[in-house]
Amino acid sequence: MTEAPVIRTEGLTKAYGRRVALFDLDLEIEQGEVFGYLGPNGAGKTTTLRLLAGMLRPTSGRAQVLGQDAWRCSVAVHRRMGYLSGEPALYDRLTGREHAAYLGFLRGNVAPKRVEELSARLTLDLDRPSRELSRGNKQKLALVLAMMSAPTLLVLDEPTSGLDPIAQQDFHQILREHTDGGGSVLLSSHVLSEVQRVADRVGVLRSGRLVAVERLDELRSKSLHHVQAQFSEPIALEVFADVPDLVDLGVSDNSMTCSAPQSALDRLLKRVCQHQVVDFECVEAELEETFLTYYGTDEDRGEGGDHAA
Amino acid sequence: MLRSVLLKTLRDQRRSLLAWATSIVLLVMMYGSFFPSIRHMPSMNDYLNQMPEALRSMFALSGADISTPTGYVQIELLSFMGPILVILYAVSAGNAAVAGEEDRHTMDLLLANPISRTRVVLDKLGAMIIGILLLTTVTGAALLLSGPLFGLTVPAGKATAAMLHLGLLGLVFGALALAIGAATGRTGVSRGVPAVAAVLAYMVNGLAPMVSWLEPFQTFSPFYQYVGHDPLHNGVSGSAVAVSVLTIAGLAVIAIWGFRRRDVLA
Repeated sequence: MTEAPVIRTEGLTKAYGRRVALFDLDLEIEQGEVFGYLGPNGAGKTTTLRLLAGMLRPTSGRAQVLGQDAWRCSVAVHRRMGYLSGEPALYDRLTGREHAAYLGFLRGNVAPKRVEELSARLTLDLDRPSRELSRGNKQKLALVLAMMSAPTLLVLDEPTSGLDPIAQQDFHQILREHTDGGGSVLLSSHVLSEVQRVADRVGVLRSGRLVAVERLDELRSKSLHHVQAQFSEPIALEVFADVPDLVDLGVSDNSMTCSAPQSALDRLLKRVCQHQVVDFECVEAELEETFLTYYGTDEDRGEGGDHAA
Repeated sequence: MLRSVLLKTLRDQRRSLLAWATSIVLLVMMYGSFFPSIRHMPSMNDYLNQMPEALRSMFALSGADISTPTGYVQIELLSFMGPILVILYAVSAGNAAVAGEEDRHTMDLLLANPISRTRVVLDKLGAMIIGILLLTTVTGAALLLSGPLFGLTVPAGKATAAMLHLGLLGLVFGALALAIGAATGRTGVSRGVPAVAAVLAYMVNGLAPMVSWLEPFQTFSPFYQYVGHDPLHNGVSGSAVAVSVLTIAGLAVIAIWGFRRRDVLA
């Protein structure tokens, strides 16, 4: 049991009519792992998470969560799983405390102390009706409700959306404690910078297909560096032709610019040193950019503001 | 009040149930207060008898003597206003049960807990039954307690029977709303279809005595189960209760089956 993956999907596919929202997903998430599920809006992240939460019925394939079928055994699965929906809706007239009481009774294993502790850490007022809460506080309440029963697995759809940076840090700390205790997390996001702080592995979803799964530390070794060099005399493009994996290599008169993965830096530097250098600059790019370079489409890398934000 | 889906549902309805109950009591008392003046108007029955037969039939007037307490209650309360109020409550409760919760996007929050969809449907149905029981009890009590003030005395047993059948009438349409909402998740159809169905059932039952091609359908109308046997005179009809209860149970099964097999709308 302990060795079995916490989540395992096989050929998981979901179609709405003729539109395929998720295609043939094979994914395994191990115990104690934080898995970041990345992709632009509409890529199928929410569909995946709602399939795992038993809200959606798979068109084909299957999803096992905590060793049981996510659709057929949803009640048993939910006993040990906390789920945060993408745009959490609450009961307008109930206060935070009433939400916790109601859902706590339905869960059956919630310690009121845990609710108080979580909301204190996230600085959430439990005594106000949810309709009076700001967007960020609603999100905090929904997070408390998802985590209050100390479930083995947390499935969180965009958990930090609407949270201020301090609350995000507090939330990440809570996640760390959760995994230290052997718990697992699947969280989705559309920004890598957010996921990179907490995730052990990331999966990238694009148009309903899982295009990559990487360990975050491996991804870091691929991290791009923006390199700029000024030489004392004009330089030829061919000088750098045999350096592998360079991106956006450009040469004009005395200067060269390019982006290089960490692994290519050594070869690149040696080429540069064969000539007289006037100035040299090497800056590590945001992980975001690295990511898009490898897995993005051309549009994602385009200058326009059309990033999937 | 937050210890189960059933109790939470009743808690959500507490204000509206109070409003419904208050308006029903006021309505019953208002009708009661008119009775002394109407019972001494011999021309009232003549006037009613002069109305077109179709109209009299639609308002369940045929055979009822408005100068007697039983006839008056039958005409004023049971033929039209009573059913309208109870059906309105039931359909709104049935609609809110599953489709309404989905429409407000709180179904994900509810179903993320270890609770089955079957249980959600049954709890919501249970809350609706309790709500209707409350409304019909209040109606019956208002009639029996305030009626005698105006000389409007009806036998308690017969009034109770009429309230039972009135409650079952409401439940049939409430269960229809619940079933449609549970099977589709759409509030538009789960409100609209039962409303149209209620109007049609009302017309079929009212017009069947005069329109020969409608006659075979009359016994299928929930309104026929409700007043076809004249409960204020004849008490409870076992067969009418059985048909209503089976209809409600059948709709509950459809609701569970429909909800268990589909996606929860985001």
